Amino acid sequence: MQELFTQEKSIYIQISEMIETDILRGILLEEERVPSTNELAKLYAINPATAAKGVNILVDAGILYKKRGIGMFVSEGAKEMILTNRKNAFYDNFVKAIVDEAEKLGISKEELTKMILEEK
Amino acid sequence: MGNLVCKGIVKKYKDKVVLNGVDLTIEEGKIYGLIGRNGVGKTTLLSIMTAQNPANEGTVQYDGEQVWENRKALDHLCFSRELNALTTLGPNTQKIKEYFKIASIYYPNWDQAYAEELMKQFGIDQKKRISKLSKGMLSMVTITIGLASKADITILDEPVAGLDVVAREDFYRMLIEEHANSGRTFIVSTHIIEEAADVFEEVIFLKDGNVLLKENTVDLLDRARHVTGVAEDVDLVTEGLHKYHEEKMGRSKGVTVLLEEGQSLKENAQVTVQPLSLQNLFVALCGREE
Repeated sequence: MQELFTQEKSIYIQISEMIETDILRGILLEEERVPSTNELAKLYAINPATAAKGVNILVDAGILYKKRGIGMFVSEGAKEMILTNRKNAFYDNFVKAIVDEAEKLGISKEELTKMILEEK
Repeated sequence: MGNLVCKGIVKKYKDKVVLNGVDLTIEEGKIYGLIGRNGVGKTTLLSIMTAQNPANEGTVQYDGEQVWENRKALDHLCFSRELNALTTLGPNTQKIKEYFKIASIYYPNWDQAYAEELMKQFGIDQKKRISKLSKGMLSMVTITIGLASKADITILDEPVAGLDVVAREDFYRMLIEEHANSGRTFIVSTHIIEEAADVFEEVIFLKDGNVLLKENTVDLLDRARHVTGVAEDVDLVTEGLHKYHEEKMGRSKGVTVLLEEGQSLKENAQVTVQPLSLQNLFVALCGREE
């Protein structure tokens, strides 16, 4: 959770992605408490309402859950859920972008496939 | 705690109209960023909101009470003004300590221990005379007065002017920490927009003597886009949308758009669509018109 912010995305989306990445990396474990919105706000010097917006995305997705009066926790199966979501987003975020750019540059589908197969 | 409500504020300096009918509601529990170009009337507005300057027309109320000459309402407000090393009577030879003493009388919820703690964090000796302080140190004292006033609505007018980048980050942290702990309302005016953008829950853009917009910072940025490409494509994609700051160069065009609820850009692979930073957006909306 010590990543730096970029200009390209909204801060609250970056907050939710950082928490997800921490869950994937095992920095935050399932059934473990995550930092509160106030703690996140102080850590990153961002408005608590913005931090809350980022956390709420994960609550709505079922990745975090609230325990009344105690705080926010990582749901059981959260890691699996994040992996599935990211795989689903992979097509939109990466595959589409690669195909679009290839089209702009006049790279054929065959050339593109060859490049991917030869990578590594 | 309560809201601070300005209605129809008009302020003229001789013939020059600085504020022309400002309506503005400051809701409790938020951090506001007040942004506008030099001379647009930020400080004038802030001083009117705290009854340090009379308006020609309009009213300011805190929690339903008139603010003007009303101790009961003013006890909830703090406008920590820029401190000067020089006064009209010569150098300000007061010690910081003595200055805090006056603040403690003026602000009913003054927190002396907190003020001392902040001075320690900034690394300033309270026995120093105000005339001996650097510009940055003066800002630090102003910030300390604002935070330690513990007033429900606290106004900081360009608190980071003169602070180096490390001290500025210290300030944002102190502000967020105090806000998170107490839920107090803050209004912060600044010209250093980008680094403060994440601190503000809402931003207020002031232009031509009035409020151009007041909106949740995240929501505002979410509906702002910068579109560039061949002029005809850009026109096609942004048709019917609110456009600002069009820039043409040869066949290409760049334009900033603010999407309204339900609007979206028309799909077109030929144009580049980018998010804007708050600073870019401010320049697009309040910059020089061609």
